[in-house]
Amino acid sequence: MRTALFLLFAALLPGQALAANQVALDNNVFVERVSTDAQGKQRILLEEPKVVVPGDRLVFVLNYRNAGAQPADKFVITNPLPAAVRFADAGDTRPFVSVDGGKQWGLLSDLSVPMTDGTRRAAQPADVTHIRWAFQNPIPVGGTGKLMFRGVVK
Amino acid sequence: MTSKLTYMGAIGMAALSSVAAAPAFAAGTTAGTTITNTATVDYQVGGVAQGQQSASNNFTVDRKINLLVEEVGTVTTNVVPGQTNAVTTFQLTNSANETLDFALVASQIAGGTAAHGGTDTFDATNVRVYRDNIATGTVGSWDVGDTLLTGYVDELVVDTAIRLFVVADIPAALANNAVAGVTLRATAREGGVAGTQGAAITETTGANTAGKDTVFADIAGVTGDAARDGAHSDNDDYTVQTATLAVTKTSRVISDPFNNTSNPKLIPGAVVEYCIAVANSGSAPATSVIINDPVPGQLTFSAGTILLNGTVTAGTCNADGAAGGSYAAPNVSGTIATIAAGATRTLVFRATVN
Repeated sequence: MRTALFLLFAALLPGQALAANQVALDNNVFVERVSTDAQGKQRILLEEPKVVVPGDRLVFVLNYRNAGAQPADKFVITNPLPAAVRFADAGDTRPFVSVDGGKQWGLLSDLSVPMTDGTRRAAQPADVTHIRWAFQNPIPVGGTGKLMFRGVVK
Repeated sequence: MTSKLTYMGAIGMAALSSVAAAPAFAAGTTAGTTITNTATVDYQVGGVAQGQQSASNNFTVDRKINLLVEEVGTVTTNVVPGQTNAVTTFQLTNSANETLDFALVASQIAGGTAAHGGTDTFDATNVRVYRDNIATGTVGSWDVGDTLLTGYVDELVVDTAIRLFVVADIPAALANNAVAGVTLRATAREGGVAGTQGAAITETTGANTAGKDTVFADIAGVTGDAARDGAHSDNDDYTVQTATLAVTKTSRVISDPFNNTSNPKLIPGAVVEYCIAVANSGSAPATSVIINDPVPGQLTFSAGTILLNGTVTAGTCNADGAAGGSYAAPNVSGTIATIAAGATRTLVFRATVN
């Protein structure tokens, strides 16, 4: 009964209202700019996305926190890629990706893309349409973490 | 990140759909587009699925002004003195992420080294700019169907390259290899309304705005055209290719009535052979070269001795060629159809000393 009630709640109430107490997620984007100083050293600066033109490198940062009173299990973060952004890499976060609009998922190196002549080629970062991180272990109460990926403005 | 990620097996690898990768655009996302990124979290508590949580951010793509003016081909345009409508070809590419107008200025360089190495020594006249009509006529080459521009290209859409023809007239009486350098410079203008040149564009300076800013991203063009000024340019040139003719006339005694051909002397009755050599030291062939030579009164022309289009070897007339030409007292004349650049051709005839 309790389970049924929960499901009913989940179905009826806006997602935010229920989940807001449990998990906090926030989503930031920065423009990655490389500047070279007088000594020739390169510095990478992350700036607010005020001036953004095609070709600029973007860093998307997702911060999550379990603000609830119980561990959060089967924790999955899904991020469809905006149409105007080409995926570059996800650092060392090793996400699953989809190259077909979210139908199939896998590591980028395991996926392939059909060609017009019927053959398939290995998927490239530019083919990625969705990114997903699925956590094996529950997020403990108060547990936080950060995920990131890079993209380029098309 | 403390939690380990699960590598779930890819589901349904066999049932693959054919989703083509989005085409890549060089100029990129249209200015003013808002990019929204949304991430969602699905999770369970106590084995019960909880409501999905999501977070978004968005930003606006700014306007990147970029363009390219390139000479088509990397050779000079060869012209002859007095030629009208001599054409040099350029290509203009709108690499910005918005439809723009482009103001055009075709100018002449003043002295200095032209695009293909020569020194600029003259100016072409009546310089005009045409836009290639890709619907009619010869696409890629200047023809009557192309559009004469009035100082600007109207509404050039993103990622589009068009051909522009700088068409000029070449003054007469120019020396071989004289060079005129021309520069075509395009400056990005607001797209505005079709049929009207848009307003000048300025880069957004000072504080960034959350809206659509303008950033100049063009590279430097010819000398004096800096990078990031909203303009780009390239040089091309005209090189005069003309024939330069020089005439020499030689003679030798062939025979006299007493010595015959053995050491003949110039006595009355001796036969003299004249060789008129025309050398072309220019870069273009000379055509319809008319040679005219009056025979001195002390000589009598020997009928049927004219040889045309003969050759010279190491400065010596070979006295060869084909029969031709004509004689109308006192003039020997003949026409050589073509003297190629660097070649020498002759007219040979004989006469008798009175």
